[in-house]
Amino acid sequence: MTIEVERAPREAPRRRYVGSRQKKLKGDLFVRGKARYVADIELPGMLHAAVLRSPHAHAHVKSVDVSRALEISDVVAAVSGEDARELTGPVPHFIDPAVFGGKTAEVRCLAVEKVVYAGQPVAAVVAASRNDAEAALDAIAVEYEPLEVGLEPAAGTQGGTLLYEGWEDNTIIHIPFVEGDVEAAFAEAEHTLEDEVRIQRYTTAPIETRGYVADWDTSAESLTFYGACQNPHPLRWVLSHALGLPEGKIRIVAPHVGGGFGLKMHGHPEEALVCMLSRMLERPVRWIEDRRETFLIGGREQTHTFKVAFDDEGRITGLRNNIVANVGALGAPPGWGMAFLTALSFPTGYRIPNQDVQVSIVATNKGPWNASRGYGKEATNLVMERIVDLVAQKLRMAPAEVRRRNFINKDEFPYKTNAGLNIDSGDYHGALDKALAMMGYDDLRAEQERLRAEGRYLGIGLAFELTPEGGDIPGTLVAGFDTTTVKMDPQGKVTVLTGVTTPGGGNETGIAQIVADEVGVSLEDVTVIQGDTGLCPYGFGNYSGRSMLVGGGSAALAARDIREKLAKVAAAMLETEPENLEFGEGVISRRDNPDASLPTETVAYSVLTLAFATAAMVEPTLESTRVYKPDNITHIPDEKGRIQPYPSYSSAVHLAVVEVDAETGVVDLKRFGVVHDCGTIINPTFVEGQMQGAVAMGVGAALSEELIYDDEGNLLTDRFKTYLMPRAGDLPSFEMEHQVTPSPFTLLGAKGAGEAGVGGSQAAVANAVNDALAPLGVTLRQMPLSPPNVLRAIREAAEKGGVS
Amino acid sequence: METKSIVAVRTTINGREHSAEVDSRLLLVEAIRDVFGLKGTHIGCLTGDCGACTVVVDGKIAKSCLMLAASADGREIQTVEGLARDGKLHQIQQSFWDEYGFQCGYCLPGMMFSAKELLETDPRPDEAAIRHALQGNLCRCTGYQKIVQAVSTAADRMSGGTNEEREDDHRDDTPTR
Amino acid sequence: MITRTLEYLVPGSTGEAVEMLTPSAGEAKLLAGGTWVVPDMTHGRVRPARVIDLRRAGLSEIREEDGHVVVGATATYSEIVASSLLREKVGLLPIAAAKITGGAQVRNFATAGGSACYAIPSSDAPAWLVALGAKMRLLGASGEREVAAEDFFRGAFRTAARPDEMLTGMAIPTPPAGARFAYHKLKFGESGWPIATAACVLGLDEEGRCRSASLALGAVAETPLRVEVGAVLEGSPVTREVAQEVEEIAHRAVAEPWTDVLADGEYRKSVAGVVAKRVLLAAANGG
Repeated sequence: MTIEVERAPREAPRRRYVGSRQKKLKGDLFVRGKARYVADIELPGMLHAAVLRSPHAHAHVKSVDVSRALEISDVVAAVSGEDARELTGPVPHFIDPAVFGGKTAEVRCLAVEKVVYAGQPVAAVVAASRNDAEAALDAIAVEYEPLEVGLEPAAGTQGGTLLYEGWEDNTIIHIPFVEGDVEAAFAEAEHTLEDEVRIQRYTTAPIETRGYVADWDTSAESLTFYGACQNPHPLRWVLSHALGLPEGKIRIVAPHVGGGFGLKMHGHPEEALVCMLSRMLERPVRWIEDRRETFLIGGREQTHTFKVAFDDEGRITGLRNNIVANVGALGAPPGWGMAFLTALSFPTGYRIPNQDVQVSIVATNKGPWNASRGYGKEATNLVMERIVDLVAQKLRMAPAEVRRRNFINKDEFPYKTNAGLNIDSGDYHGALDKALAMMGYDDLRAEQERLRAEGRYLGIGLAFELTPEGGDIPGTLVAGFDTTTVKMDPQGKVTVLTGVTTPGGGNETGIAQIVADEVGVSLEDVTVIQGDTGLCPYGFGNYSGRSMLVGGGSAALAARDIREKLAKVAAAMLETEPENLEFGEGVISRRDNPDASLPTETVAYSVLTLAFATAAMVEPTLESTRVYKPDNITHIPDEKGRIQPYPSYSSAVHLAVVEVDAETGVVDLKRFGVVHDCGTIINPTFVEGQMQGAVAMGVGAALSEELIYDDEGNLLTDRFKTYLMPRAGDLPSFEMEHQVTPSPFTLLGAKGAGEAGVGGSQAAVANAVNDALAPLGVTLRQMPLSPPNVLRAIREAAEKGGVS
Repeated sequence: METKSIVAVRTTINGREHSAEVDSRLLLVEAIRDVFGLKGTHIGCLTGDCGACTVVVDGKIAKSCLMLAASADGREIQTVEGLARDGKLHQIQQSFWDEYGFQCGYCLPGMMFSAKELLETDPRPDEAAIRHALQGNLCRCTGYQKIVQAVSTAADRMSGGTNEEREDDHRDDTPTR
Repeated sequence: MITRTLEYLVPGSTGEAVEMLTPSAGEAKLLAGGTWVVPDMTHGRVRPARVIDLRRAGLSEIREEDGHVVVGATATYSEIVASSLLREKVGLLPIAAAKITGGAQVRNFATAGGSACYAIPSSDAPAWLVALGAKMRLLGASGEREVAAEDFFRGAFRTAARPDEMLTGMAIPTPPAGARFAYHKLKFGESGWPIATAACVLGLDEEGRCRSASLALGAVAETPLRVEVGAVLEGSPVTREVAQEVEEIAHRAVAEPWTDVLADGEYRKSVAGVVAKRVLLAAANGG
């Protein structure tokens, strides 16, 4: 089956807004403190839930006794896992590993019989206040029979610590991405090297935690769910399954969301739990996550053990990489799939003809992963960039030169990677040159020499970054297309209802810019409504840098339908042809006679009021719903069985300058620059904002953020005093330039801009720290590059006798 | 269960006097939000680290999760809802909007109050001073860069404007492009 | 959320505070700035039945008292930073208080006295107090007594104060005129709490030779450690070689290093000497 896809616009409207810096729409709500988040919702009769969590990482649950909690006067309900099993079904997986031939496990909102991580919900209390609900948790008696705890993938594969019944080991899935003749590449290689990168467990930690309010309407037997969530429609499908309610009886509303970064993709047990409690009690029930609970959700913990074959010229000819991902317990959120993407995305933007990349995704007794900005691709970039720098170091060649020699050339696009990804467009050499010039690379090297003579350790780190964006995973509700409705009212004002959501970026403003240009109205006359399944067309929400790509694309298509109707009617009114019309801001005029013009409002009014006269040639509705499916996604396997799940591939070149205090291991980030290419830019301010935020997140990942567990599987870093995120004083101002190579496969030429930055900045900082300490013979393998890890590496190198 | 302990609190919030009987267990931030109904002050951690709950107490910025509601008795409090005057945005509010000094908006009230206290003592801060003044506030969206720019813009506007403007740090919030 | 119902009391004087404290000693918590106690209550780490808020107990004054500067137990870090008396007489305190983690919001309400009473190993104030030879003034039902700061800190989260006693102030002997100060704090980024700190007070003669020296390490062990530097320093100018010696002495002084999730004992011990060396050089060079 082929589906016709709309490509380049027939005639691009004159762009007033697209490409320009516009302020966030309705920004005054935010600065006045009037924007409403889920924790701000108050409903009459609302009750408050608290969750009792397992203190054991692995245990049989022998019994749960809630009777004492129920005796407390302000407690309305207390439920165990057994109670919940009577009232709800399992929570369906966002991405079920079984779809890919992996193992799966049933996930329930409260544990039944067994807990597989410390912090897993085992019981819940509902009370008149949150204080009372939390107080009553102490009155619940749970009897556990602790089991052996497996926190590392190696240990977890042994029979004794099996997490799930019926599994022969704890490996969820093992996936190879093999291409070319790897044996021969290594046999014939002029040089080889082998090394390792160990990536710590870290997380997204938006400043707003998760939170949900469920409101059961007894008379209508329907449910309204308010949640800090990124994907309202797919969540409706999940809750429908879990609660046994038709989707038509569930309305999901995402109010303003205080940051998502993947954490607020669904599958969390508390979503179905609050719905169940509300239906059971016939009252609204609210649950707001505590910060300690947020840190239970992990991501990204992987070890890469690799071998590289390369020639004297620095050309990489072969890559073997064995990836082991510790995804914690298997949860229903889409976290585990990140490690799949890590392997799929090798070897990023480099031409490496022979590769054998294998990933083992293993369950352990840590908390489950959820999606985290970068969705595994950040890890690929970190490791790939370490590999390129290690090659450069071994050959004593400039890191920039090794990159140049291995990059895909700009005339080779679209370029098919070993794993079957079809990279749309780019100019990696161009971005690299721009970055080096912007940062004054040669001067930096001279400065480094000077400081080294003084015994100071300045490091310069380069990193290229490729970010596949806008993905579609077949057989799941992770879709690569989306839907938007555009409506114009008789006063010429526009309402946009879209299936994509904003977790806090500015995509609503960008979408409004596109629509305002297409229909020719002022930006203030466009209202964008998102995140409400009762109002918006079916869509998939926010992930994979897709909101502008497909939300913006579908909005443009729908807006063009409106424009077409307005043009026909205006042409009749101005006694000309539609082609002779110019759409201004709220005005439609004749090209050949600009004085002959009509307010857009007049035309819009006429479509509805002169339906049997002047406007008779159009269907009298100024409303259109359109889907935008970008080109370049192919789920029909190629001759090698590979699919191509991403339409666009943004790229960037990062450069970090650090100074390392070799006596304490403290790393000071002195400068940071990035050249970013996300194709056509809708609003430069918002693209910069995305990149700056992502770079800060990557710097945190590189230097300080880590979820640390004790030997029993209890999370130790459960607050911002121990989970160290960058603050303003830790960061320099980032220097930034854009390069624009539009995607030939997307409607506006845009590529996703939501995820790039995390992996690239992490890699640049890691390369810079290694570069700084190269005179000491140090190679850092364990992330993050925290002072204790850095100092230990310095000491180990000294014990080995310094420079090798 | 122990009987609830109720404390009488009389406090001035954004220039208006409030009296309430509050549960002695409540934090100041919980009372501001749930007793006094001012939802603009946000909760991000309840450990005093993120700064999303920052308000002004007796003229000094404070993290309202580190204070019991009962301690507000006899004190004067300003929240984000009290920044604008007669509908006009404070220059700091306007600058955060103009410079895109926030994305999701969750940390924003706290950031604005840290900026305000800085500019009251140091009307022309350099970048390092601005970054230092934001030490008590976490943001996960922006990488702080546009926040720093917003504070810098606010400083320029507040110290470089006309005398009339300087006396009143508020301006019309007509959307500008 | 605070789950235990509590009785909230605001004494108008220290006498009243002691009366409120005495009958319920084990069950009561004193509140100065509250920046440690309140979040610990929120997260169930402490569950007092009675909270005694000292904000009206008249303990926030910073005053001079025969050869000492007395910092009231509830004087905030911001008040310490702003105190002209301290700047003139005990310059170390304003410099060090400005470096407290948590932002102006915390410095405006948190107190050095409260921090001392909480005795968290990885905090700032204990090492300053030891370096300055402060005397901790305790008031209880049986009267007032003074305990040297060195003896006040008994272990992680443990002090010499009895459950029925409260800290009223910290009496700091005024260092000789012209004394030099420095405070060095190693932390992991702006989010981080002290990993290793060093506070130093130096008296130098006109030739730059050391007449008196006091150096204390913080955050590297359960309690602040006074480093015995007198023998090396006194009578000698502060040279790189001397600083190197101090580094080694400080390193050796850390017998049982403190470990927490941010840094283990091995790391803390290995940087203890470094911060000692740096603080000494900074003090000698004018802080």
